[in-house]
Amino acid sequence: MQNFDYIDPSAESDAVGFLKDGAWDATSVRAIAGGQDLLGELKSGLLHPTALVNLKALPEEATRTMQVAAGGNVRLGSLVSLAQLVDMPANDPVASLLQAAASTIASPQIRSHATLGGNLCQRPRCLYYRRAETVCLKKGGDECFSYGGNNKYNAILGGGPSFIVHPSDMAPALIALDARITLQTPEGRTEMALEDFFTLPSDSDVTRENILRPGDVLTSIETHLSAAHEWRTTYVKFQERDGFDFALSAVALALAFDGDTVADARLVLGGVAPKPWRVPRAEAALKGVTRGDRAGFEALCKTVGEAALRGAEPLDQNAYKVPLTKGLIQKALHQLLLS
Amino acid sequence: MSAELTWTRGDDARLIGRRVPRIDGPDKVSGRAVYPHDKRFESMVWAEFVPCPMPSANVELDLDAAMAVTGVVHAERVCGDKTLYLGEPMAVVAAETPEAAREGAAALLATMTLTPLDFCVTSQAALREGAPSVGRSGNVTRERTRDQGDAVAAFAAAQTSGGATIDVRYTVQVQHHACLETHGMVVDYNGGQNATIHGSIQGTFALLDGPNELLGLPAANVEGNVQHMGGGFGSKFGIGIEGRVACELAAKLKRPVHLFMDRETEFHASGNRSGNEVTVRAAAGKDGRLTSLISDSNKLGGLSGGSYAWLPYIYSAENYTTTQRSVHTNTDGNRAFRAPGHPQASFAMEGALDELAYQLGLDPVAMRLTNLPAEENPDFAVWHKHLKRVADEIGWYEHPHRTAPGSAKYTFEREEAIGIGFGLSVWGGGGGPGNQVEVSVDRTGTVLASVGTQDIGTGARTLVAMIVAEELHRDLDDVQARIGSTQYGMGNVSGGSVTSACLAPAVKDAAAKMRVELLAKAAAAMNVDAGELAFYAGGSVATTDGTVSLSWKELCALLGATGLTTHGTWQRDLQASGVHGAQAVKVAVDLLTGRVRVIKMICMQDAGLILNALTAQSQIQGALVQSLSYALFEERLIDADLGARLNPNFESYKIANSIVIPEMQVIFDEDDDRGVIGLGEPPAIPGAAAIANAVHNACGVRVRDLPLTPDKVLMGLEALR
Repeated sequence: MQNFDYIDPSAESDAVGFLKDGAWDATSVRAIAGGQDLLGELKSGLLHPTALVNLKALPEEATRTMQVAAGGNVRLGSLVSLAQLVDMPANDPVASLLQAAASTIASPQIRSHATLGGNLCQRPRCLYYRRAETVCLKKGGDECFSYGGNNKYNAILGGGPSFIVHPSDMAPALIALDARITLQTPEGRTEMALEDFFTLPSDSDVTRENILRPGDVLTSIETHLSAAHEWRTTYVKFQERDGFDFALSAVALALAFDGDTVADARLVLGGVAPKPWRVPRAEAALKGVTRGDRAGFEALCKTVGEAALRGAEPLDQNAYKVPLTKGLIQKALHQLLLS
Repeated sequence: MSAELTWTRGDDARLIGRRVPRIDGPDKVSGRAVYPHDKRFESMVWAEFVPCPMPSANVELDLDAAMAVTGVVHAERVCGDKTLYLGEPMAVVAAETPEAAREGAAALLATMTLTPLDFCVTSQAALREGAPSVGRSGNVTRERTRDQGDAVAAFAAAQTSGGATIDVRYTVQVQHHACLETHGMVVDYNGGQNATIHGSIQGTFALLDGPNELLGLPAANVEGNVQHMGGGFGSKFGIGIEGRVACELAAKLKRPVHLFMDRETEFHASGNRSGNEVTVRAAAGKDGRLTSLISDSNKLGGLSGGSYAWLPYIYSAENYTTTQRSVHTNTDGNRAFRAPGHPQASFAMEGALDELAYQLGLDPVAMRLTNLPAEENPDFAVWHKHLKRVADEIGWYEHPHRTAPGSAKYTFEREEAIGIGFGLSVWGGGGGPGNQVEVSVDRTGTVLASVGTQDIGTGARTLVAMIVAEELHRDLDDVQARIGSTQYGMGNVSGGSVTSACLAPAVKDAAAKMRVELLAKAAAAMNVDAGELAFYAGGSVATTDGTVSLSWKELCALLGATGLTTHGTWQRDLQASGVHGAQAVKVAVDLLTGRVRVIKMICMQDAGLILNALTAQSQIQGALVQSLSYALFEERLIDADLGARLNPNFESYKIANSIVIPEMQVIFDEDDDRGVIGLGEPPAIPGAAAIANAVHNACGVRVRDLPLTPDKVLMGLEALR
């Protein structure tokens, strides 16, 4: 690890100023918030930044507050810690989904430092990516070594030319809650759906997982569940080892009810694709379904599971993720429709 | 007098056999205990290895770049012309700070010329025609066969006679010791006539013999010191390259040297439990009796030979032919690891027996008993006792599927399948001579018990204090146990489950001599026959009728300026060897995901005379957790083409954490008459086999390849549906 400057910005715009002349190469200036991903990258020798811009020094209170609006939607500053999400009162469908997802992440120690913004912007955990000596596609090389190599943990959906999976647990949960984000950019403030924030390796720059450009700072996240319905939500994460592990697969599910009938559905998969993987076909298959229909449940799970995994192309070692994800979808549906 | 020595036991004992918390426990959990890695000395230099980033290379070094880094004081080559495994230390850099040492190491790596050589890091690659030769003797060495009867003919006969046959392959992965304190030492030497070596090592005296020559000092001028050490499990017997280089650096620089492996190098270069792949053809008659076992095993110990217990392991088979050989790869060599070779062999043998049992529709417990015929070998009887007991305790006889596995099918009512599995263990674990224990009492009443032995983490320091306190009727706090230094008497290494059986008899011997000498002093002062005297609570001495007595203080006041000192040595009659055990495991398999959740592990084991029931239980529980971790999580991942090691860290080399630790029940089969026996290794043997068997019992999925990660179990479930 080499020495670097450590800059406390005086305002969001100041942070943008420090960051905008950077690039995404290994030596560029980087933003640091909780540091729970970035410091690992530094220690592993993946990055050698000349300077770090300390976002925790931002004076804007809104970057670290949680505000609950009517109907339960929340506005979260990007510096809100995962521990704060775990500790928030969770008596509505928005908060309970956020809490459920946050509480599966890492350990209490890490959650106390890790921020929501950092969780959304974290880099892949692919074993090849994390190994400094291996210059893979993600690091500007010309090969994804997981393809044909060790790919037990890699993508079954949306992969190619890189087969990383997006490691965030908060992202699928927030997309299920129809979240929008605010970015402070060199051109000013801009807003977008969180779903549109993430990119696939085939989209443009294979070394990136989102649309952030140098100088862009994620400042807040806001959920937008429609108030027209009664929602129920759940997050089902599957880890190879319970506790302190990333998802092999995860399911974030939000169902809107008119009486006992599903009026709307948002289903997002984690751990299976290079970005949080929303499955509109499966969502469509859920509309009109009746809560409590035990007789039709098995067939429903089959339909939804197959719709969700449509197009899955497992690699040599990760075919298990297909039945696994179907199983997790079944568990999520069981919670929201049958219990 | 040794013939008269007997352990204080049962109701007579205040400490022996009781649950005695470690006397250094508070120091360890509060961070006050200073481990070798924590040692700091004035003007100490920090040394860092430069590990080879590829499996094999010709190495040309240029030390200038490293030496040019501010703070670097020394750099040198530590490898031969070529390296043979990824992580092999090529050079060492010493600096004023750890940061400068790391920076120097990075500079050295960046400027050296590495010419990659052909390699093989998997057995598949090593066995391929035309594979590059890993060692001078080729990639396959030490092939041996043991046989009895005609196993091939018996197997052929079984195929036509209606018995059961299997023809399968079991594989187990490489397991890392994953010691929390990495390998290394601090050599406190300033160029004078004396040096102290603080090593994280399993044998204090390994620091004495050899290191002194590296330092150029007489052995008498070097102290080896191991007050605490953070785990060894068999990987820390010798001083290793880290110890050799640390001593050489200290000798050259005439400054204290701190040299420990970093975590990644620890994973790459500090040994491991060898992997194994074995084909098993086995046959059993309708009664379950094994008629044939034909096995062929590749021991995967990297550059070393690997270890594997001979099949049919503990069981009796009428005919067998069992072959094993070492298959070498460009990976660091295996080392001893908690019952070397046994868990690997147990996994195949217990699996094979289970497979045959279910094929025959037999209860796997009965199947095991059938193949441990007590009439053939009386030693088998103890396993009958242990296996029946753990089966009973785990609820086997009320379990719904005992002769056929449960269904793989998920229903609302049955999201998880419950299964039970079994495995047996065997070990030696007796003591031997070596320890030289000194007990002294001075006129202030202070009791010191000194012996150089180390505490590998099982409570040796507490053991020393409690045996002396028991003997002299003093409180545990009244005895100061001094261990972990070559300035005290000789201590045996900790390995092979021998520590307590080596140490405790010698402590007892010294303590008993002290008791006799103190009673003689008392007798003279009290003007009675020593035979009429005994110790009582608090260390007071009184005649048996209670008419004359001396308090501990009064007694010790008689000792004069020199006090009393006694010496103890190992006493054969106070210990024994030979350990048997059985384990039963209950698991729940999530039928939608393949998650294996271990609900309960029960271990019954020969325990001889228990000295400290608390640390003995902890020792067995630790082994159960370690075998659960081996069964479900731990796996060294290597990219065969790149030769790259993919998970040399505690994030992705997954070890059981507190959440997955099940209910554990330890049943000691105590036999005080045997004295002290070893405990630590046998409980690490059958857990993985029992878990795999329990998974099959639950849902019909037979995973023959450790670890039993959810991907394998789930694909197995899918295949059955």
